[in-house]
Amino acid sequence: MYKGKSIVKVINLVKIYKRGKIEVPALRGINLEIPTGKIIGIAGPSGSGKTTMLNIIGGLDTPTKGKVYVDDIDITTLNEKELSEYRLKKVGYIFQFYNLIPVLTALENVEVPMILSKIPKEERKRRAMELLKMVGLEDRVNHKPDEMSGGEQQRVAIARALANDPSIILADEPTGNIDTDTTIKIMNLIVNLNKHMNKTFIIATHDPIVMEKCEKVHKIRDGRILEET
Amino acid sequence: MEIWKMAFRNISRRKLRTTLTVLGIVVGVSLMLALFSLVSGMDVRVTQMVRALGGADITIYNATFPGRGGQPFGGFGTIMRGTLPIELLQQINQIPGVYIASPQLSFMGYLGSSRITIYGIDPSTYDEVTGGLNIIEGRGLKQEDKNKIVLGKTIVEASNITIGSKVKIGISATEQEDFEVVGVFETGVMFQENAGYITLEDAQRLTGYMGQISQILVKCEDPYIVSEVANTISNLIPGVRITTPTAMITQATQLLNTLTMFFATIGLVALLAGSFGVMNTMFMAISERTREIGILKAIGARNREILKMFLAEAIIIGALGGGIGIIIGAIITYILPMFIPGFIGIAPFIGGTTARGIRQIRTTQTFTPTLTPINIALCFSLGVLVGLLAGLYPAWRASKMKPVEALRHV
Repeated sequence: MYKGKSIVKVINLVKIYKRGKIEVPALRGINLEIPTGKIIGIAGPSGSGKTTMLNIIGGLDTPTKGKVYVDDIDITTLNEKELSEYRLKKVGYIFQFYNLIPVLTALENVEVPMILSKIPKEERKRRAMELLKMVGLEDRVNHKPDEMSGGEQQRVAIARALANDPSIILADEPTGNIDTDTTIKIMNLIVNLNKHMNKTFIIATHDPIVMEKCEKVHKIRDGRILEET
Repeated sequence: MEIWKMAFRNISRRKLRTTLTVLGIVVGVSLMLALFSLVSGMDVRVTQMVRALGGADITIYNATFPGRGGQPFGGFGTIMRGTLPIELLQQINQIPGVYIASPQLSFMGYLGSSRITIYGIDPSTYDEVTGGLNIIEGRGLKQEDKNKIVLGKTIVEASNITIGSKVKIGISATEQEDFEVVGVFETGVMFQENAGYITLEDAQRLTGYMGQISQILVKCEDPYIVSEVANTISNLIPGVRITTPTAMITQATQLLNTLTMFFATIGLVALLAGSFGVMNTMFMAISERTREIGILKAIGARNREILKMFLAEAIIIGALGGGIGIIIGAIITYILPMFIPGFIGIAPFIGGTTARGIRQIRTTQTFTPTLTPINIALCFSLGVLVGLLAGLYPAWRASKMKPVEALRHV
């Protein structure tokens, strides 16, 4: 499929939710490879299963069947504790609603993953400052989330996602809650980070502006990959 | 360290709720501290009282004397109140329930030029009735002693008097006789130690009250019949004033015990209620912040870290409650005696009580609950512990949340 190395390999991924006695299939056998260092889009309407897939790749959810290899490790075999370690070290997450911790400043929010991975205070602060500078928020470091615009909050979230230098960054509708101008700015930032830091981005979206910036977009519908564009 | 900072900010998010939760613990902790102080005060107290009140079950005075009445335990007249004929002793001894009676003639006398209280006692019966003096040096009085005196520690320490010293004793600074110091006693209460004990015969000779006594100290056969015996005495012998020191102690102790139980019950109930408050607050916080828990888990927080975060909040609430609680508890400890007027004085004075009598006792015997560092530390820890225990289950629930479900929460 791709030339070069794949960082994520999804094999026959099935996820069935149980609502009482009714089984609701969210993923019906997904096969997917994500190459290292690219921006890959996952597109599809809501309910298509893109968030579920992202959650499984991100170690937040477990599949009913199938395998997910990230950096050649089958993450479906990891236990709860190993999964949190995986989320901490290997994955950066960007959410639609930014999901910053409201009591913490921009700087502290970026520090959280590094606190969790026990990086010494000095280094942590320095790196958080660096990352905030990278996303263009050096003058917002001491602002709390409710003192920032949506675009600014999302940039803090991006900085946070990069904090522990993860292998993959998962973004679930990262521009779903912000206007077009800001969307373009955010996407330019992501493209920049991808180029300069060689980070792999997997972005679930149905925003054409976002898809345009992706090197490849996988369309997903009713839990299946439709086609590749 | 970061966990505490974050916990602190989180509990500051809902200031009113946090304050109310903290107050729940404050009530419990302060009552517990007041209780502990009360109990520590009590031990010291009962021993002191027994000494202070002479240890007799019943003390009989002459109530008709118009002089300085109402000073049942040693006032400041030359003779404390009127006298009673020694023959009365026989009569008292025959009353059913009386184990033994001991005569005493006490008066405000002089040691050289300084005023001290002098008690003329009957050594053969005194010890049996009162339990005896606490002799710390030398010996107690003997029946055959003549011109021998046992002095209080305060007096001995303030002068260069030692065992074997000759001192001048009398009813005035001029009419004095030589006495030999044979012993030193201690009560631990300063004013009580400003006294000397001599034999009844010596006292009668010094004062000129031959065949007279000022008090009769009575020991009953059974501590539970004290009031009954006291009633019999006052019915049988008109014109006497009767106090029942040990009954007063019993009553005071009972009151203290009741108070202790009262505080213990309220304190424990309050702490329990406080812990429910903490639990409730923690559950509310967790339900409000479910999404945050999801975020933290998504970015790699382990269960243990989520547990620690919420536990830290509960502990801070507990510590705040403990801190404020000990301050309020200390205040209660200090103002409590004021709200229990005449803690000791409320015990009945059979045969007539004057307001002055009560005051007299109270001023000499103030009830002091004792605030000890150990109790303070204990009560503070109690607050923290309540917070910790009450926070344990909610925090555990938070830590076990599934990240995807928590994230879905709005």
